[in-house]
Amino acid sequence: MTGMGTTHHATGRRVVVTGIGAVSSIGTGAAEFTSGLRAGRSGVRPISRFDTTGFASGNGCEVPDFEPRRWLRTLDPDRLGRATQFATAASSMAVADAGLTAEQLRAVRGMVSIGTTDGESADLDSLVETEISDGFGATDRLVVERVSPVRLATATAQELGLSNVEATTFGTACSAGNYAVSHGFDAVRSGESEFALCGGTDAMCRKTFTAFYRLGTIAPEHCQPFDADRKGILTGEGAGVLLLESLDSALRRGAEIYAEVLGSALNCDAHHPVAPNQASIARCIRKALNSSGVKPSDVDLISAHGTGTKANDITEIGAISEVYGDRPPRTVSLKSMLGHTMGAASALGVAACALAIKHGFIPPTINHVRTDPECPIDCVPNKSVATELNVVQNNGLALGGNNAIVLLGRYGATR
Amino acid sequence: MSTALAENADKIKSIVCYILELEPDEVMLDSSFVHDHGVDSMGAIELLAALEREFDVEIEPEQLARMTTLAGVQTVLAEVAGW
Repeated sequence: MTGMGTTHHATGRRVVVTGIGAVSSIGTGAAEFTSGLRAGRSGVRPISRFDTTGFASGNGCEVPDFEPRRWLRTLDPDRLGRATQFATAASSMAVADAGLTAEQLRAVRGMVSIGTTDGESADLDSLVETEISDGFGATDRLVVERVSPVRLATATAQELGLSNVEATTFGTACSAGNYAVSHGFDAVRSGESEFALCGGTDAMCRKTFTAFYRLGTIAPEHCQPFDADRKGILTGEGAGVLLLESLDSALRRGAEIYAEVLGSALNCDAHHPVAPNQASIARCIRKALNSSGVKPSDVDLISAHGTGTKANDITEIGAISEVYGDRPPRTVSLKSMLGHTMGAASALGVAACALAIKHGFIPPTINHVRTDPECPIDCVPNKSVATELNVVQNNGLALGGNNAIVLLGRYGATR
Repeated sequence: MSTALAENADKIKSIVCYILELEPDEVMLDSSFVHDHGVDSMGAIELLAALEREFDVEIEPEQLARMTTLAGVQTVLAEVAGW
């Protein structure tokens, strides 16, 4: 096992979240996303991005009304794939939400880090379809040009005119959002960057739906994490991007602070292509707590990976119990509302945690009827709860045993 | 063994061997894919998909628990195909 947990919480600069951009099936923009989370809105609808004829079910969590021209000022949306549109739009939202302008960001050194599972696989789907039906010569050059996943990060830099940035795309699948946030956190804390635009993105695609369907893990109607009758995941799409800066910078310019990034941890056990490993997840949680300088008893809420498959939920709750004992903190799954947004999942998770801390509420686990005795937690079923949160843990667990965990704290809280 | 199953037995075995990358003479009716042949769950899903395609049937993923030997595969396939 390789561990890259960040362990210098006592040194380096304090890092805070001051801007949030969200594109999701339950609301786009920080305000709409917040009201969706608070209301326990469901993003489920019949999939329209591709033909689901021949599959026994075809529900997913698409972003129904995304209008890239509303958010992009510089780039032509037609030259960007849908995942890149999401990422650039969410980045622009985060900058505006932080009360910053692109011009201000251009004056300092920064970082753009975006995580993904599929990149522009929806474009690859359509290119292959065209090639099969009409031959290679018929493929659209514009689509070919926008396929590279590197563009998820570089397009954001182009849109905002940022030339003094490191722009990185992380392909660590379903935990990639947390990887990207962790990377941005390290860059700002160490002083390498004055700001980080970090998060994750993915667009609905036939390939991923089909693969999870083939594995027998697609739920027919809705996603019910921790429920005794849960039937699997629903694929989703969207993007979450955070603007991170040092606490000093935020205080200097009088910025509104959502939350402080306390620490993060990554590990990779390479135990199995798809099955999560409980001991390895528990190690990652301990490492994240240690990196953040908090005790298990300090944590008020866990935003779980919580896919709603039999295997994930039991294994993840087992790992949480290993660390937290018999009385773990309340543990929710946003995937009950958002579906599995893949590379965006843990990024939207960090965004939701920051909003929950700022606005004092716990987003619910919806579609919940009866808690699985093998997942003995309070998942805050169906209705959000108003409460003060001081420390929140956001889990991301990916194929191949790529685990990534980020901890946020309420700025100004005493621990 | 029903006639239909008997007629398809060779085809089933050749699909099993092709997908799981096993030699025909090492696969017995009751040798365990997991314990004797080192097959993992991804191999099992691949086998399920191939059988669905070849025999134009649908097999619920829950049936994988019974499809751990050649005999188990035959039994499940005979049920879903109505042999």
